[in-house]
Amino acid sequence: MNKIMYLEFERCIGCRACQAACRECGDHDAKERNYVEYVDFTESRQTFPMLCMQCKDPACARVCPANAIQITDEGVVLSAMEEKCIGCRNCTFGCPFGIPKFDFETNKMYKCDMCYDRTRHDIAPMCASVCPSDAIRFIDFDEMQQLRRKRTQMNLVEGKKPQEGNKWDYVPEFFGVYTDSQS
Amino acid sequence: MYKFEKSFYSKTSMYSFVVVMILFFSMWYSTSKFVHIDMALLGYAISSTVFAIGLTIRMSFWMWRKATNRVAKRSVDNLFNKERLKRNSKAFVRTLIDNIILQKFIFQRGIYRGIQHFMISWGCIISFAITFGLTFGWMRFDLIDPETYQIIVFDMPTITMAAHGIFAEIVYNGLNIGAIMVLIGAGMALYRRITDYDVKVTQRFEFDILPLIILLAVTVTGLILTIQYTFLDGWMHHYMSLIHQVTVIIMLMYFPFGKLFHVPIRPLATAVPMSYQEVVKVDTKSCKSCGQPYSNDDQIADVQAILKSQNFDLQLADGTYLSDYCTGCRRRMRALKQMNLEAPQGNPYGPVNTNNGIHISGFSKKRSEEFYGLDQDLKEEKVDEPVSR
Ligand code: HEM
Ligand code: SF4
Ligand code: SF4
Repeated sequence: MNKIMYLEFERCIGCRACQAACRECGDHDAKERNYVEYVDFTESRQTFPMLCMQCKDPACARVCPANAIQITDEGVVLSAMEEKCIGCRNCTFGCPFGIPKFDFETNKMYKCDMCYDRTRHDIAPMCASVCPSDAIRFIDFDEMQQLRRKRTQMNLVEGKKPQEGNKWDYVPEFFGVYTDSQS
Repeated sequence: MYKFEKSFYSKTSMYSFVVVMILFFSMWYSTSKFVHIDMALLGYAISSTVFAIGLTIRMSFWMWRKATNRVAKRSVDNLFNKERLKRNSKAFVRTLIDNIILQKFIFQRGIYRGIQHFMISWGCIISFAITFGLTFGWMRFDLIDPETYQIIVFDMPTITMAAHGIFAEIVYNGLNIGAIMVLIGAGMALYRRITDYDVKVTQRFEFDILPLIILLAVTVTGLILTIQYTFLDGWMHHYMSLIHQVTVIIMLMYFPFGKLFHVPIRPLATAVPMSYQEVVKVDTKSCKSCGQPYSNDDQIADVQAILKSQNFDLQLADGTYLSDYCTGCRRRMRALKQMNLEAPQGNPYGPVNTNNGIHISGFSKKRSEEFYGLDQDLKEEKVDEPVSR
């Protein structure tokens, strides 16, 4: 399996269906683990969804003093292990993207686990399967590559080429690679 | 100390050696030069020593981790800071009572889970205290006259008790009480792990179920022993005690390497009220961007040092680090960056640039296909799949 979580922030319509779905997922304890936030509330009502990147070398796990954050064989970075998390919140502050949430009552961290019981069996995560505007998609690697090529073509047709000063404008986009193992 | 260290293969072997020596001398001292040693418990003594070595090795490697080391070091430094005496003792008492003795936070996760763990942990702690105490000879009973026992701790006579008093019964049955508590707790845990769908999401047999089976094996064989000599005149007692010994040894060998390793790391939780968030839910450091309090200075300094020591480059162009911003601002920064919507360079307060004219993948896909007349491989893409996945 080689599936990709594909986010297109600008497609988000702010319906928060993904958050409602997240609350329903197994082991999520009726608390959402993803975010829908405003880009700039004073400027527009544009929202964007935000999930964990499932980093290859996760900063969150590296800053955890209890060694409580596990990475599965598939490359999913799980929530803190229930018996180990000492509740210090280092992970929340270490994560470059501000993802891990913390529950002060039960004294443990919880974060997006890509609906591990679903994605493990190749089923799209809750958020991706309910998003009405395809801002969050769970697609094949090849499909992602197509989407990226398409974009280069469109820019070229309009005569826009990356140049030294602005080449990075052409790069950013979010694709979380779910796993390396092809099987 | 330097030379001493050189005579070992590694630091961990030095620590293990020291631990074994301490155990040996405590045993030598408390059994008054091995006079009062209980030979029947020799097997347990040897396996407990191996257990102590395993635990030392695991603890050393755990402490060696950059994150653990940094957090533990700050706590130790703070511990010896006189100005922090009040805060330290408060943190210490609070963690000990709320977190370790009463385990309030587990009860918050559910009454069932709370009772389950309270039973397992206290059952285990009681049993461990008694077995280790007896095997290493730290504690023994001496008959000072036909009706009175005296408890000798580290070769020092302490309280006396009537041989058939209530207190004596509780002491003799300590192991049974502990075993029954673990039996209830581990049984509850096993039941939950088999029936609850939520825990199955990340549950692994060898990590989550195996420790419960091992604990149950130890308690059940131990309780059978009691039944055999109280009700069955010691029938098959010898064989059972051998089986029990084997289960205990398996448990001791397993302890440092599996789930049960959470026990020695829990005291690190004191670091939170001691060095980080003093009062629950009260933050003191404010975000560089929005000014909302989100953490505290010491913790952010630690996080940045830990990340730096592991070659994470999370510094921005203006010299700040991503951890200087609150989580909300960090998420927003990422979205702005990835959509090329950041405010123009040099003016962080300028309006966000919402259109830089560069196509972002997938956006306005339908329109562009007709618009540009490209025959796209994307055309074959399945027309909107049914949503119910
Ligand atoms: C006294 C300090 C201890 C603390 C603070 C502690 C903390 C925890 C926590 C937070 C959990 C997760 C429970 C849940 O979320 O349901 C846990 C699980 C567990 N603990 Fe402890 N623990 C302690 C001592 C012990 C001891 C002494 C033992 C036995 C050797 C033990 C054995 C277990 C077991 C077997 C589990 C897994 C239960 C399951 O299957 O869900 N704990 N511990
Ligand atoms: S809050 Fe828990 S998971 Fe996060 S760093 Fe601290 S101990 Fe690790
Ligand atoms: S929580 Fe943050 S650091 Fe950890 S895997 Fe997710 S994005 Fe990476």
